[in-house]
Amino acid sequence: MYDSAMPPRSKPLRSGGFNKNTSSIFDPLAGQIHNSEGYGATLGKIDHGVTENPYERRFSPYDFNGGTCVAIAGSDYAVIAADTRLSSGYEILSRDMSKLHTLTDKCILGSAGCKTDVDQLRSVLDIKMKMYHHNHRKTMTTPAVAQMLGNTLYYKRFFPYYAFNVFGGIDEEGKGAVYSYDAIGSFERTPVTATGSGQAYIIPLLDNVIAHRNRLDEKRDLLKEEVVEIVKDAFISCGERDIYTGDKVEIAVITKDGIEKTYFDLKAD
Amino acid sequence: MFRNQYDTDVTVWSPEGRLLQVEYAMESVKQGSACVGVRSNTHVVLGALKRSVSELSSHQKKLLEIDDHIGIGIAGLTADARSLAKYMRNECLNHKYVFGAPITPALLMGDLADKHQRTTQTYVRRPFGVGLLVAGIDPQFQTAHLYQTCPSGNMYEFYASAIGARSQSARTYLEKHYESFTEASLDDLIIHALQALVGCVSGDDELTKENGSIAFLGKDQKFTMLEGDALQPYLDRLELKNAEEEKDDDDDEEEKEGDAPQAMET
Repeated sequence: MYDSAMPPRSKPLRSGGFNKNTSSIFDPLAGQIHNSEGYGATLGKIDHGVTENPYERRFSPYDFNGGTCVAIAGSDYAVIAADTRLSSGYEILSRDMSKLHTLTDKCILGSAGCKTDVDQLRSVLDIKMKMYHHNHRKTMTTPAVAQMLGNTLYYKRFFPYYAFNVFGGIDEEGKGAVYSYDAIGSFERTPVTATGSGQAYIIPLLDNVIAHRNRLDEKRDLLKEEVVEIVKDAFISCGERDIYTGDKVEIAVITKDGIEKTYFDLKAD
Repeated sequence: MFRNQYDTDVTVWSPEGRLLQVEYAMESVKQGSACVGVRSNTHVVLGALKRSVSELSSHQKKLLEIDDHIGIGIAGLTADARSLAKYMRNECLNHKYVFGAPITPALLMGDLADKHQRTTQTYVRRPFGVGLLVAGIDPQFQTAHLYQTCPSGNMYEFYASAIGARSQSARTYLEKHYESFTEASLDDLIIHALQALVGCVSGDDELTKENGSIAFLGKDQKFTMLEGDALQPYLDRLELKNAEEEKDDDDDEEEKEGDAPQAMET
C-alpha cells in the first residue's frame, strides 16, 4: 500500500525553510527574522519537513490491482471475460491471475479492484452459497446469487469491498443473464457490461457492436462464437491504451451444458 | 437395581457407577429407525430406512450432507440430529475459510465427541438423543472413514456399523461380510448396505424406493444421495441377487436330500 499524501502547499509558511536560503540553515536567527506566524519560538529548531509544510498522511486500506472484466448476455448463453494481469502502481505482480470465479455450474463472477477484497468477497459468497445448498437442498439460481451479491456488498456500505463486479450466467428460463455492480451493491440486469480500469474503452465499443446502439442497420442476434471474437478485439484495443490491462484474456462461455473456458494472449507490455 | 433413584439428573452417578440419563439417551437411539454404514478403501456408503408417521405423511429424511466429503446418517431424535448437522456444517465452512482446506473428518469427530460430552457433565442441559453414523473422506490422505457417535460422547471408527431399531440383524450380516468390503466396488457396497437394511424392516413391510435411502461418497466422489427412482435399479439388483441365492439354496437342499439315503445305508 502506498500512503496517499496530500501535496504540500505551494507556498511555504516560512520562507526561511530547509530547502531555501541554505545559509540560513546554520543561522539560528534566520527563521525568526522572517517568521511572522509564531512558529518555532525556540532557536535552532530542526524542522522535519512537516511543521513548515504540513500535509495529511493517511494509511489507505485500498490498493488498486487493475484489470478489466466484461460480460455479455446472449439468447441462450453468457460470455464473461477478464484479463489476467495483476498489478500495483506501475508494477506487474502477476501475468496469470484469474479474475473469474465460478460460483455454480451456471454462473461466474468477474471482479476487478483490490485483490484482497475480491478474495474475501469470493470466500464470503462461497460460504453463503454452501449454506444455501445445505438448507434448500438445491443450488442457487443465477438471479438469487445476483441479489445475494448485491446484499453482501451493501452489508459493508461504510467500509466497502473495493471490488468492481460483473456477474454473468444462465437464468431459470435458459437465457443469458448479466448483472453489473458498483462497489456498494447497486446492481442491475443488463445485456452488456464492463468494469475495471479498461471499462471506458470497452463499454462504448460493446454498446455499438452488441447492444446495437446508434446504428442504422438491422439488429440481429449474435452467436456465441461471434461474441467471443468481438470480446477478443475489445480486449486487444483496451490493452493498447490501458496499462493495467494485458498479458492474457480468460474467456468463459456459459451455456445450459456447462462452462467452457478459453485463453487468448495479449501484448505483455 | 437402583435405576429409579439416581436417574433424574445427568449429573448424578448411580451406585454401579453409571450415568443413567446418558444410558436412557442411548435408548432413544435404539428407538430410531435403522441406519447402516459400510466402507471400502475408496468409498463409504450410508443406508437408512426412512420412517413415516402415517400413510399420509412423508418419510423422514435420515441422511444429511455436511460437506462435499462428509455425510451423516441419523437415528434417534431428528431435531437433535439437525442441530448437530448445523453445527458440523458450520465447523466445515469455518475451517475451509480459516485454513483454506476442507476439514479432516477425524478432527470434526473429535469436536463432535467433545460437544456430546459437555452435555453429560452439566445439569442445565441434557445429552443429545441421537446416534450419528458419519461418513468421511480424509482430504489429505484420501482414505475413507466411517465413525459412530452416541449420546455418551464416545466416538468409534468402524469398518461397518448399524444403529437404530432392529439393527442387530444388520450388524450380524455386516460382521459376516465386512472383510469383503475393503476391495468392493461402489455398486457392490451399495448392495451390501441395502442387504443389511432389508433385515431391519419391521414385520410385513419391505424395503422400497420410498422408505429406503442411500448416500455415498468417495475419493473422487462428492456426497451423493440416491432416493426414489434413482434407488430402484439397486433394489432390483438386490432382488435379483436374493432370488439367485434362494435358487442356489434350493439346489443345495435337493442335493442334500439325494445324499441322505446313501449316508443312512452305510
